[in-house]
Amino acid sequence: MTYDLIIIGSGPAGYVAAIRAGQTGLKTLIIDKKYVGGMCLNWGCIPTKTYLESAKMMKKVRSAPEFGIAGIDLEALSFDWPQAVKRTDAVVAKLTRGIEFLWKKNGVEFIKAEARILSPTKVQADKRVFETKNILIATGSRPAPQNLFKDCLDLEDFSSLPELPQAPLIYGQGGNMVELAQFFSLIGSKPVILANRLPLMPYLDEALESFIQKKLKKDKIPVLLEAESEIKDGMIIHKGKEYPFDKVLNVSFRKAVLPAMDIELELENGFIKTDHSHKSSVQGIYAAGDVSGRAFLAHVSSAQAMEVIEAIQGIEPPAEERQYPINVYTDPELAQIGLTESQIKDKGVDYKVSQYPLTANGKALAEGTSEGYIRVLYETKYHEVLGVQIVSEHATDLISEAGILMELEGTTYDLARTIHAHPTISEIYMDAGKVE
Amino acid sequence: MRYIFKFPDIGEGLEEGKIIEWYVKKGQSIESGDALVKMETDKVVTDIPSPKSGILAVLYGGVGDTVKVGSALVEIDIPGVEGEAAVAQAQDKPEAPSQETVDEKDFAGVVGTMEIAGDGAYLPSGDEGRPVKSDAPKTRKALATPVARAMAKDYGIDINEVTGTGPAGRIMKKDIEGHSKSSASVNIHVPMPKASAEGRTRIEPLSQIRKTIAKNMLRSKQSTAHMSIMDEVEVSALVEGRARLNEALAEQGIRLSYLPFIIKAITLALKDHPILNAELDMENERIIYKNFYNIGIAMDTPEGLVVPIIKDADRKSLIELASDIKDLMSRSQERKLTLDDLRDGTFSITSYGSIGGYFGVPVIAYPQVAIFGIGRLTEKPIVKNHELAIGQILPISMSVDHRIVDGAEVSRFLNQVLAYLKEPLLLLAYEGGTQ
Repeated sequence: MTYDLIIIGSGPAGYVAAIRAGQTGLKTLIIDKKYVGGMCLNWGCIPTKTYLESAKMMKKVRSAPEFGIAGIDLEALSFDWPQAVKRTDAVVAKLTRGIEFLWKKNGVEFIKAEARILSPTKVQADKRVFETKNILIATGSRPAPQNLFKDCLDLEDFSSLPELPQAPLIYGQGGNMVELAQFFSLIGSKPVILANRLPLMPYLDEALESFIQKKLKKDKIPVLLEAESEIKDGMIIHKGKEYPFDKVLNVSFRKAVLPAMDIELELENGFIKTDHSHKSSVQGIYAAGDVSGRAFLAHVSSAQAMEVIEAIQGIEPPAEERQYPINVYTDPELAQIGLTESQIKDKGVDYKVSQYPLTANGKALAEGTSEGYIRVLYETKYHEVLGVQIVSEHATDLISEAGILMELEGTTYDLARTIHAHPTISEIYMDAGKVE
Repeated sequence: MRYIFKFPDIGEGLEEGKIIEWYVKKGQSIESGDALVKMETDKVVTDIPSPKSGILAVLYGGVGDTVKVGSALVEIDIPGVEGEAAVAQAQDKPEAPSQETVDEKDFAGVVGTMEIAGDGAYLPSGDEGRPVKSDAPKTRKALATPVARAMAKDYGIDINEVTGTGPAGRIMKKDIEGHSKSSASVNIHVPMPKASAEGRTRIEPLSQIRKTIAKNMLRSKQSTAHMSIMDEVEVSALVEGRARLNEALAEQGIRLSYLPFIIKAITLALKDHPILNAELDMENERIIYKNFYNIGIAMDTPEGLVVPIIKDADRKSLIELASDIKDLMSRSQERKLTLDDLRDGTFSITSYGSIGGYFGVPVIAYPQVAIFGIGRLTEKPIVKNHELAIGQILPISMSVDHRIVDGAEVSRFLNQVLAYLKEPLLLLAYEGGTQ
């Protein structure tokens, strides 16, 4: 028997591809060596957000008296890590069950085993060899190993910690690093950030980067640059100051996790090289998600996976780059879509920025979440919106409105003309759209 | 009560007009039928009369502003009309039929209604019960992104003619860009050159009339299969005959050009070749033959080309035709043509030779199917009775829509027209007959 498609890896690229393949009638087998849902569901997106939610809940409870809730002994508040993990496990279990159900419903077969690509048409797993017409590699990525610290954890180890560190050192870069640091800070630990480089999140607009650096400073989370620091006696020495730490969490730049292969695929900086329809250098083999090194975001991986299924069925994906939101689940959240200000400048487009603060938004004030703003970047000829950035407790959900607006090539006029319900945080779009 | 008068679709599926001049002021008392404003549409400059008597309460827009059809133009306070009567008057329904009549034979009608002077009266100019004009404006709004829409307007592109490549055929920015590249002749979007010291270029926005010409010319070339034929005719008899006629008519101050004779020859020949006075309705897969002969005459004006119509040219005498031409000519120069002067042509004539040029390849005034071009009358050596002689040669060029007009048919038509021009007395022989 020959499969139409064998997928290796069941993260947001692999599992989405499997469901879509099944729906469109492809005979599909998905293989994963560990857990259904991959990094995203088991250690990444979902678990970290549930932990963060617990931490943000703690912050809310601390501000309860301000909201008129009496009778809470703030001194007695403590973070129950095992309970937070238990809740997280329940959420993850529910989601993975959902995926397995959808695979089954769409006729997708699943094997939990380590896969090996023997040839472009043969994959070995669980001591069996499967024939296939196409292969999708969706094996994801892991933080690059580092030599600085003897002992360090990554996200995969995080949830199995029996108790949380008091002074964790978060080492690496990117949004994960800031999220984790804030998590520890919110539950009362003393995290330290040891950053590979600055800006912390180079893919974000400078405005957002600047906001989050100020926020970290305000929350007394030290941000130390690796190049300016040394490690001595279990401490970081930075500009003469000592920063003790008890555990190291590695969130360094990620490296592709490649499956075992008897064939040779062309790589680029260690990632599988793909063309715009996600074809690798070998006919019939595709790669999507982190392993192809294009974007390290679950939603982009899923979108790529959908394009792979279309490509297998002969539909070429659009040549132009697609818009996707970049979310950081900090406190408050950061979200961005489209071009950053410096990218617009580089393109030489005449543009303007309309910024509107949350302090002028009724709902935000009522909720006590008025820290933040929206920035709408638009070109001056037709007023087409080229980029949107939001800082808000709800930024990661709010950004979707900008997504559809930009997908439809909308303008500030459309924002201003669209009636937004009052009171809502989303009114900031309408307000920002009211430009001359 | 307050009556809101909206800029009416004065025909031809207009979308907007530009205010040239306000004749009235706020607070002024006006009578129904008084001209309110002079508007430049994409066809003409025309006065918009008030549909009501009353006092002008609000004037919308200043000189140079563009007003969309259906947008408020003025608000008129009508004294003494209150309550139910006011509501009734404000309804967009006619209260009494207009005294104007609708010319039933202009079957290639115009979509929409036309509001005319006369309290509450509307002149229907719709096409109920008539064949639907194939190029009637599409009623469905094209699916397009806001930026694509703005760009199309900017580039002077009819968005309905653009193929969308977005989801569900949505027209995206790149589709407009692609379209503007493929139809370079209407691509008025040039990158704005930075003002340079040399001033080597000058940027001038297109007038409504120029936009319309551009659109119509391109549409004609893209929608029809142009085929042209050229010939020469020896018209000594016509030259002589016309000179004698003009002599005889001089006392009455009448002077005929060659054009009335040519119109006469053409309308007579059209009756024998109805396909050249027809229209192709591809949508409904049929041909619409027209039993009326409205001849468009291409005229050069300072703003650009206009093609006003001589209505029922077949029923007019040479003198009447000459008078019509003179009238249209002077009104076209003064931009006083009305929409009525411009619509429902069935065949067109262009006499480029009056300025210069021998042969040409005229562009059909779509959806018409033929245009007759007249070159410069020239003295040339001819062979007559086996001897060289001096002839009066009139070069002619004709373009037809080869989709429905075959080459043989054009030749037969031309033979007839040229025979009439060669021997103008023949015009008399057939004039008034029941053929």
